[in-house]
Amino acid sequence: MRERVISITNVSYTYHDGTPAIKGISLDIFSGESVGVIGPNGAGKTTLLLHLNGILSSENGSVKIRGRETRKENIKGIRRDVGLVFQDPDDQLFMPTVFDDVAFGPINMGYADEEVRKRVAQALEWVGMKGYEGRSPHHLSVGEKKRIAIATILSMSPEILVIDEPTANLDPRAKWELIELLKGLPMTKVVASHDLEMVAALCERTIILDEGKVVADDTTASIMSNTALLERHGLAPAPRIIEAQSRGSNQVPSPNG
Amino acid sequence: MEHHPEIDEYAGLSSPIHNWDPRAKLIAILCLIFSIVLIPDLRIAFIGLVIALTLVFVSRIPFGFMLKHLKWVIMFILPLFVIVSLTPSGGIERASLISVKALSAVILIFPMIGTMRFDTTMKALEKLKIPKKLVQMIMFTYRYIFVFTNELHRMLTSLTSRGFSRRISIYAMSTTGKLLGMLFVRSHERAERVFNAMVSRGYEGNIHTLVDFKMRKADILKAAILIAIAVALNVVCLTVI
Repeated sequence: MRERVISITNVSYTYHDGTPAIKGISLDIFSGESVGVIGPNGAGKTTLLLHLNGILSSENGSVKIRGRETRKENIKGIRRDVGLVFQDPDDQLFMPTVFDDVAFGPINMGYADEEVRKRVAQALEWVGMKGYEGRSPHHLSVGEKKRIAIATILSMSPEILVIDEPTANLDPRAKWELIELLKGLPMTKVVASHDLEMVAALCERTIILDEGKVVADDTTASIMSNTALLERHGLAPAPRIIEAQSRGSNQVPSPNG
Repeated sequence: MEHHPEIDEYAGLSSPIHNWDPRAKLIAILCLIFSIVLIPDLRIAFIGLVIALTLVFVSRIPFGFMLKHLKWVIMFILPLFVIVSLTPSGGIERASLISVKALSAVILIFPMIGTMRFDTTMKALEKLKIPKKLVQMIMFTYRYIFVFTNELHRMLTSLTSRGFSRRISIYAMSTTGKLLGMLFVRSHERAERVFNAMVSRGYEGNIHTLVDFKMRKADILKAAILIAIAVALNVVCLTVI
């Protein structure tokens, strides 16, 4: 039996204005797994991810990372173990240069200067961005920024990599290069997205989140072949559109008609 | 990618000012700026202006680049010049004195922070024990100002493509007001996301970076010369008047 690295029990979160974001989510993630979390816009994917390193916390439920609850006394260790890559690299890359940004985590973790330099070099090498150390984030393309955003987390050598919408805003070439990069990373991965192509290529297990609840949790192959399920949760075109396309018709009936 | 007017565009050149230790450079030129601001005599103020221009010349920063940025400063100094020269306690001479001193001080910014990369300036400030919160504020302002201007341009493009034109009217002004309001809201939301990203990587209130500055004899000598000039400018004033 593989080690259970993330254990989420009955986690709910409600925004300040009273809108519930996630409702009573429970799930376990095991060591070495690649898990895709898919769902339509506003399903609560990002909110769920923010619980994994204790940025958000649930009043009733609990999130345990390798047995430790995401409470104040454990938070430092948890944030070292769980690396969170945010969707917009302009949020992730806040330092004036690539080097300083990739070094930010390791320095905060208290490594000696030599070790920090070694980790930065390794992380940049890993994402194929060696030689970019002195560049400023506002001089980089979106694809480059995404890679460096991942490097800022890899330099902390997390056991669990949590990534929000890694392929958003990428052109197909950059997207597939990024997927190859992620495939090569050995740690446990949790990837939130509504890019089914990417999830199919990267993850062996997929969870569907809709309206703040887990509505399916199975192997990626069985979820991707269940068109009715995907369609029900806004992850595939509605049947009337598929039907119209198969008839070769330009006229798609309106939802009410 | 859009081209932004960056102050450190010519940080990559090589000159006696570029290879000067950042800490010594900041302190020495700041002394000079303070000294020029204190000058009470127009003739000496002109000498200050000449010294400032000489430093720009030595730093090899193109004058055209400097003028492009000075445009905004001059737009600010000019009305001041007119107003002061028209007031009874002012007069042309006093107005000229203020303008020349202001211009010299701003020109000195170019050899001071235009000759090193912006992140180096930040590290130098940190090493000089400038309050950390202030350094972080300057750093984040510089990092995100381009992100916000891009955001503003996108919103303006979207307005223009739907027929909005910038006229003087109640409607146009209220739309512009809403636009700015949106920009503030977006900035606030971004600030929260950035903070989350920082906390996720162990941020606890202080930013540390790896710095390798080395103070050599030449750095100290350059600083000593400039500080001596700064002192001399004001000593001369005492004897002239």
